[in-house]
Amino acid sequence: MMSKDVADIKSEASPIDTDKMWVIMGPQHPFSHGLWTLKAQLDGEIVTDAEPIIGYLHRGWEKECENRTYPKIIPMADRLCYAASMTYTHLYCMTVEKALGIDVPDKAKYMRIMADEVCRIQSHLMWLAAVGTDLGNLTVFLWAMREREFFMDINVRLCGARMTTNFPRIGGVRNDVDEEFMMYAARCVDRFEKAVWDIISLIDDSSTFVSRMRGTGYLTREACANLGITGPAMRGTGVDFDIRRDDPYDNYDKVDFDVPVLKDGDSYARYMVRIEELFQSCKIIKQTLQKIKAIGKNAPYRFKVPSKVPAGRAFTRLEDPRGESAMYLVSDGTDKPYRLKVRSPIFVNVSASKPLVQGSRIADVPVIMAMIDMCLGETDR
Amino acid sequence: MAEKKYLEKYPRSPARTLWVLKPVGKVLRMLGKTVIHRPVTILYPYEKMWMPENYRGRPGLRFDRCVACGMCVKMCPTACIKLVDTENDSGEKVRRPQVNIGRCAMCGYCAEYCPVDAMTVTPEFELAEYTREDLIYGPKRLVYEGITEKMEIHLEETLMSDVENGNFERRISPFMTDRPVLEAAKCISCKKCEKVCPVKAVTMVEHGVNEKGRPILYPEFNDDTCICCMNCVEDCPKDALHINEVL
Amino acid sequence: MTYSSILDWIQFGDVMSNPFYPYQTYNLPFDIGYKLWEIIGGLIAWLINLIFPGNGVSTWLISPEVSNMFALVLFMVIIFAVAFVVTLISLWMERKVLGRIMDRRGTMVGLKGFMQCIADGLKTFMKENTIPKKVDKMTYMWTVSLIIGTSVLIACMVPLSPRWFVVNYGTGLLVIMALFALAPFFILVSGWAQNNKYSLIGGMRAAELMISYEVPMLIMIATTCLLAGSFNINDIVNMQSDTVWFFIPQIFGFITFIFCATAEAERVPFDIAEAEAELVEGWQTEYAGMKWGLIMLADYMRGYVSCAMVVIMYLGGWLIPFVSEGVNGWIPEIVFLLKVWFVFFIMIVLRGALARVRTDQIVNIGWKVFMPLSVVNFAVVLLLKVGGVF
Repeated sequence: MMSKDVADIKSEASPIDTDKMWVIMGPQHPFSHGLWTLKAQLDGEIVTDAEPIIGYLHRGWEKECENRTYPKIIPMADRLCYAASMTYTHLYCMTVEKALGIDVPDKAKYMRIMADEVCRIQSHLMWLAAVGTDLGNLTVFLWAMREREFFMDINVRLCGARMTTNFPRIGGVRNDVDEEFMMYAARCVDRFEKAVWDIISLIDDSSTFVSRMRGTGYLTREACANLGITGPAMRGTGVDFDIRRDDPYDNYDKVDFDVPVLKDGDSYARYMVRIEELFQSCKIIKQTLQKIKAIGKNAPYRFKVPSKVPAGRAFTRLEDPRGESAMYLVSDGTDKPYRLKVRSPIFVNVSASKPLVQGSRIADVPVIMAMIDMCLGETDR
Repeated sequence: MAEKKYLEKYPRSPARTLWVLKPVGKVLRMLGKTVIHRPVTILYPYEKMWMPENYRGRPGLRFDRCVACGMCVKMCPTACIKLVDTENDSGEKVRRPQVNIGRCAMCGYCAEYCPVDAMTVTPEFELAEYTREDLIYGPKRLVYEGITEKMEIHLEETLMSDVENGNFERRISPFMTDRPVLEAAKCISCKKCEKVCPVKAVTMVEHGVNEKGRPILYPEFNDDTCICCMNCVEDCPKDALHINEVL
Repeated sequence: MTYSSILDWIQFGDVMSNPFYPYQTYNLPFDIGYKLWEIIGGLIAWLINLIFPGNGVSTWLISPEVSNMFALVLFMVIIFAVAFVVTLISLWMERKVLGRIMDRRGTMVGLKGFMQCIADGLKTFMKENTIPKKVDKMTYMWTVSLIIGTSVLIACMVPLSPRWFVVNYGTGLLVIMALFALAPFFILVSGWAQNNKYSLIGGMRAAELMISYEVPMLIMIATTCLLAGSFNINDIVNMQSDTVWFFIPQIFGFITFIFCATAEAERVPFDIAEAEAELVEGWQTEYAGMKWGLIMLADYMRGYVSCAMVVIMYLGGWLIPFVSEGVNGWIPEIVFLLKVWFVFFIMIVLRGALARVRTDQIVNIGWKVFMPLSVVNFAVVLLLKVGGVF
């Protein structure tokens, strides 16, 4: 089915030799969620070539980190990605802990992965909202944003901030959680697992949505490997790899969850992987809440760490909602990093925009690029 | 709703589904729900969302409790805090933090790292002003009425040595454990540490005289009053002091 | 005749007895306009007569010819005002219902949010009239004028009842359809004239969209006319009062026509010409301020006309079911408008539930789904007609 559809779309290109037209989509364009440009060469409605242009949001993040002491970088790591701030702070803290050679308390590990999964749900819901607008339906947008609000509330109760959470710390987490929070979070997750079916049946039971996503933006396993695509976009093409399971960090090896993998490789497969990840995240959150409860109230949640990191290098990676993000830290023995390098998944994934949109129609470009889930904060850094 | 798995249910074969009717039904259900009840949105300026007490809005200050140690200035990631001269209630000249809210990232570090819990977070988030000058919150303006216990953020850390000794449950602030230590060979008896100490925990004790006949003064630290603000460490001209981190 | 008091000047005459009355049947808006002119013109004439007694202008002002002329002007104003208010109400309804569908409140400014339409209108009127430098100014301006003009024209041409019409054509439905189908051509030209790639693609898409829905739509109009035996709107509605509402024999046609009407009005899910996700605002991209406001108004007027067509062709026009003839005569206009808003409500729900379809999909739907359905519908009606049911 897959190869036939691609051939169908390609053969629709006109045999008449007509002039091709470059359409510059961005940086202020409704389809680009953030500041980036997609130059698309059109032959009629068919996209024949595409080129992403990024860098409008470059803030010199990595250089800026070299002037700050280690704890001061945590709020900055929040700002790497506004939709999934928790994973980046988590990643940064993990990197520094590795450089320090310390292990964080068990409770902190569970709290971190719980916060990570809340963030994953929140980020995926924001992506779902964006898919709705890209397909011209505002209902999905608002319903997904409504569900996201509950997870924002979890964040507020957890650490006092909605988006830029600043929650993980080097050596643990910022604060302990209380009974009330855990009850609220469990209730929210239970509610969400029922409420999300509304959105799902709005999209998956609708021919307009499914026909727009199915059969567009094909990507093969080989292309994935060549382009370095990671995350749900990769799992939608049949690559069974998730860092949470295959290279577990913190306590992901102690919770039980599945990694959704689909073989179709089109936009719909990527969509379905992300939706299933919502449910898996709920599963993880529930388990971690129980584990935190079992560990007990007075267990340590934050270790005291030295302010100076011994000279050396540390590299860690983690499963971001968007793919595999990694940080590489070179420290020179002072209280400031010598160099901090971020590998952002979107920076790599967006390079696949040409093979993704080539041969599809201009109307499909927003949908296909939405399945990459652009986040410019981490891309441009 | 029984246990139904998303990936087992979808994708549906086109023949078996009512392609457009089900979403229309869902939408109509929501329409009925919101006509009878209120929609979830709130009328923002008139109604406000529930915020927990420890919501991280702008920083707040307890004027009397502050000792002007400058820890918030050191920890602020956006460098928006600085100590300014002001007067307290009895007219004495004191130094207190001033925050440029325009640059504040609301990270809560100033409250977290305040050794005396004078800086707190406040749930105040409506901070728009007409000019940039108005965004600078001086010490008097920074005072927030009605600071409660929950707005303080306590830095509670567990020492790794405690865990090794089986003492899991002790949580202690680093300001209680870390103390400055003197390398006597480097000290030139300049008394700067005594001057910069905000809590007067440094006393210069005489240790004999040098070859020129001047007294040799070494600082001694009062462990009970010291709050580990590191002012003496940073201002020492000869780097004779360093913080002994208890891990 | 002597004119002594003011009441002599204001003579509520029967409009039908005016020798210059332009219609054969009674026309309510014309009557209202005529009566209004009786009052206004009579007052003016009385005032002039007070100052210059016995002058000719006063008597001229209330003569049947002049009354008729001014009544026509007022008649036009009334017809437009009603179409305008109906459009504003459907706009308000869309905002409110769509808001509730999306779990939000919709507009909140005055009168349950109705004043937001007026505020928006005023705002667009106060905006600067910007025209990009490199557009083809002539084409840029006249295409948009024609798009707005034809839309307003058909919105005014829709009859609300046997006594509320502009012209009672023998081919009423065809004329409305013809004017309706004009706009995509202007959109195509306007997309070209704007010197903008998004607009160009949007214009092309409008033409593509028209190719897909126009043929099944015309077949369905032909079916209805075959069933009614006339193109005249009055006759179609009367036929439905004699037999049944036409959506019962033509159930396929009814459902298909609602979708076609949605496409005709360029609304989600068929708003590919102004797909904001990929084409910013499609062919409207370069129109700013007041022009855009008028385009928006014209869009909703087209939506109103689409709904009115559905009501006329399938839902029995201004008839209330299961009541006697006499009751039907009281408020046919209100009944008609309520039905129009009901159909518009269906369109709003469709907009809330569905996503925008792609250009190739709309052609596919048009030719592979709507076309066979309309032909089946046509065959059913032919069978019914031949079988003597109608």
